[in-house]
Amino acid sequence: MDSLADLATPITMGILYGGLYVVIALGLSLVFGVMKVINVAHGDMVVLGSYIAFVASTSLGIDPILWLVLGIPLFFILGIVIQRFFLYRAFKMSADAALIIAFGLGLIIQNAEQLAWTPLSRSLQTSYSLKSFQIGEVYIPLVYLLDFIAALIIILIIHQFLKRTYLGQAITAASQDRQTAELMGINPARVYQIAFGISMALAAVGGVFLGLTFPFTPTSGVSFLIIAFGVIILGGLGSMTGTFIGGLIFGLSQSLGGTFLGPTGQLLVPFVMVIVILTIRPQGLFGR
Amino acid sequence: MPEDVLLNVKDIDVFYGTLQILWNVSLEVLTGELVAIAGANGAGKSTLLKTIAGMMHPTTGNIEFLGEDISRKNAYNIVTMGISLVPEGRGLFPEMTVSENLMIGSYNRNARALSKEQLCRVYDLFPILKERKNQMAKTLSGGEQQMLVIGRGLMSNPKLLIIDEMSLGLSPLIVNNLFQVLHEIKEAGVTLLLVEQNVWKTLHEADRAYVIETGRIVMSGDALKLCEEVEIRNAYFGV
Repeated sequence: MDSLADLATPITMGILYGGLYVVIALGLSLVFGVMKVINVAHGDMVVLGSYIAFVASTSLGIDPILWLVLGIPLFFILGIVIQRFFLYRAFKMSADAALIIAFGLGLIIQNAEQLAWTPLSRSLQTSYSLKSFQIGEVYIPLVYLLDFIAALIIILIIHQFLKRTYLGQAITAASQDRQTAELMGINPARVYQIAFGISMALAAVGGVFLGLTFPFTPTSGVSFLIIAFGVIILGGLGSMTGTFIGGLIFGLSQSLGGTFLGPTGQLLVPFVMVIVILTIRPQGLFGR
Repeated sequence: MPEDVLLNVKDIDVFYGTLQILWNVSLEVLTGELVAIAGANGAGKSTLLKTIAGMMHPTTGNIEFLGEDISRKNAYNIVTMGISLVPEGRGLFPEMTVSENLMIGSYNRNARALSKEQLCRVYDLFPILKERKNQMAKTLSGGEQQMLVIGRGLMSNPKLLIIDEMSLGLSPLIVNNLFQVLHEIKEAGVTLLLVEQNVWKTLHEADRAYVIETGRIVMSGDALKLCEEVEIRNAYFGV
């Protein structure tokens, strides 16, 4: 490090690609909020989103971001189907059963991806993949800025949906008190389906931006699940603001960790941060 | 006048797992009445209400609402039909605002179109809720929280409003005010079913009452007459 100014690059980059973590974590946190089940397959679903966008891009020549116009509804419906025919049936027996089903789904997705696309590392290549922009002396890859913009848009849309629509309020109510929600006429099975559908739609978005930002393999899902988990704990369960700030902090500390400690610091530093913050504030930064 | 029977509970047995809570319980609520169910803690009052609202189901017997058997229906369908249960312990959504709590009360498809008028009605009954409409529900006082859950119960536009342990933990002054509002609600055409440990007060306010003891209905009839029954005094006041 020659000067403090050199830190501007990793700081800006970390905050910007932290947006990717926000998108991935939000899907995980939404399902956990209503079902109190950690969808351990969420990371794999995100990576599935990357692979589907990869196919759309290489075979059909569709731009990955443009692909989301189809990908979001497709994953939303897929989420409803998975919830209705697999997860909910197990969930009615016990939350543990649902957890095991989710774990199995994750393994199936990983192995199907290995068969279809080999274990080789892939990435989404576009005309703007290698472009960068300049702020002062700092050069930033364009895709990092896209990660951040995507996070901002997603957070605003989900926030408005949860606040302003009957369905969104039903999801909010059910995550605070399921039994009372039922007394309001809210069918919990339907709420779970919608929440899971949205979570999958977010996985489609996360998958595209993941593929634009980092290379991925069929087993990448696990590390992104762990990161998303870290983000939620950092920000505080059930808080949208927390997830947003948590994601950015995670990206920032990962980027700075890499700068100071090299590749080994990239995950070490953010998780040490998670532990430190939890020691000071066990409910997370914005948790209640 | 059987056409006036709004709710008809017929000989229900209810179990919690293998433990029987209610034995052969029957009761009737007529349209326009204020009926009270009185009984000590653990007598099975809340179980009875949960069964009527569809959160639990009877193993034998059935429950008819407006002539239709509802004993196998889910809670979220029963609200739509016009039964609204105000749960015990002020089950509100703590991290939602007062107005959000009220609006979610009109979630069911029969209430949604009327939600604006219903909201005005609730704010007329409980002006304090209007003042606090943008506050988080958890920041309200105990009395205000009880007003909020009653108001939320009304938002579903019910024919029958059931309130579980309304006066629990509230000062007598607040309880009196709440009963005044209940009479206004009754005059507006909503039938009321109250469950209370606070027997004296409830029996003075109700038209008819049932007394429940260890899962069985032991007395029923005109509320004021029940008041005079010696057994009640013995059972609840130790006179």
